[in-house]
Amino acid sequence: MNALEIRDLTKKFPGFSLDHLSLTLPSGCIMGLIGENGAGKSTTIKLILDMLHKDSGTIKILGKDNQKDLRLIKEDVGVVLDEVGLPECLNAKQVGAVMRHTFRNWNMQTYQHYLKKLSLPDQKPFKDFSRGMKMKLGIAIALSHDCKLLILDEATSGLDPVVRDEVVELFSEFTRDESHAILISSHIVSDLEKLCDYVAFLKNGRLLLCEEKDQLLAEYGILHCTQEQLAELDPSAIRHKKESPYGVEAIVTRSAVPVGMQLSPVSIEELFVIMAKEAN
Amino acid sequence: MKGLLLKDFYMATKYCKVFIAMVFLFLGVSVANSDMFFFLVYPCMLAGIIPVTLLGYDERNKWLEYSGTLPYTKAQIVSSKYLVGLIAQVSVLILTMIAQAISMHVNNRIDMKSLLILLVTLVAMSCFSSSITLPFMFKWGVEKGRIAYYFMIGFICGGALFISNLFEDQLNPVIQLNSLLFIVCAIAIGIYALSWYLSIRFFEKREMR
Repeated sequence: MNALEIRDLTKKFPGFSLDHLSLTLPSGCIMGLIGENGAGKSTTIKLILDMLHKDSGTIKILGKDNQKDLRLIKEDVGVVLDEVGLPECLNAKQVGAVMRHTFRNWNMQTYQHYLKKLSLPDQKPFKDFSRGMKMKLGIAIALSHDCKLLILDEATSGLDPVVRDEVVELFSEFTRDESHAILISSHIVSDLEKLCDYVAFLKNGRLLLCEEKDQLLAEYGILHCTQEQLAELDPSAIRHKKESPYGVEAIVTRSAVPVGMQLSPVSIEELFVIMAKEAN
Repeated sequence: MKGLLLKDFYMATKYCKVFIAMVFLFLGVSVANSDMFFFLVYPCMLAGIIPVTLLGYDERNKWLEYSGTLPYTKAQIVSSKYLVGLIAQVSVLILTMIAQAISMHVNNRIDMKSLLILLVTLVAMSCFSSSITLPFMFKWGVEKGRIAYYFMIGFICGGALFISNLFEDQLNPVIQLNSLLFIVCAIAIGIYALSWYLSIRFFEKREMR
């Protein structure tokens, strides 16, 4: 079953529109929604959760239409937004009590386990938490009600590298169960590169690409060569080139490169930057 | 919805301590001097303001966005605020009635009729205070909602003054104050119910950008 299916999703705002977005996230997988600030990542997530009203298109969460009984669907969805909107005066213990009466499948032991694992104090008010601690509490909540789909909007931004690593490990652990899936948006591509099975590039509300990460990395490579060597290649195989007095560095389709020419691996971040520039 | 009510209870105990203290202070004064009507009405008005205050904090804390990710309908989110309002108002009404009964007993002036009239007046006052404010806040957010509220209050007061001037000589002198109070109370309860319904409709249409 697909954890998430979006077809022809459209939403218009003054000065911005999300344009016929379609993507599919299979269960057991992690999809990274990559895009610059204002590309439409948060809009997409808010449309999935019906926090914004779509103009057209369909959204299915765990096989169910997101506008039919969304309340029940949300029992199976854990969400962390870029700002965890918990009341500032509540402490983690009180948050746990509120969530116990919110989610049918709330597991207090799991919640307490995550509070301990993520070193979160249970008596300190939320307003005194650092941004990293706030995010970790949001993640602990999202993981404590036996959800099937995790939706994370910039959940790793602003975290220090150690905490990011802990959090990325939690997400990997979560998807070890094949019925679980994660949709994670970020403009920090390196985070997603470690984690994701699929990547979707968004630019100005348009989906530039949605593909399996490994396939994408297998398809492209970086070629270091001379101008003359590059001229011998099929021009359509060259996605991007950077010339310098020492030679040319080009991102090319691997299959078009003759045997013997050395290719180095390309990163998702490099591919994203190129595609974003091409789309301008 | 229990989760939402529990959250509001935690917040009310934290942010509304001053309100609660004022309620007890004013009730104390009203017991000492039962002729001071303002001290009786003000706690009820304060109780009506509690859900408005909590909604303001919710918006500042971005809880309204976050609650959109939780398994609650928008109708439940709105209803929790109205229920908090009702709980606060009913509690203050009961306390006020007890305080007044004590005051009457102490002064040997037990008068069930005036107690009933007082109850009706207080129900009307407490219903009005939140029912006018909340729909605007659920539609436009707390800041814009507050501006709309001031306009609305101005419009209602201005309208009432205009109508009373217009029909000053034609008002039926047989209408007793007591009957009028019961009518006003029924209207206030009706407005509270309408306000609840409108807030749900407005909030369902509002987008969390």
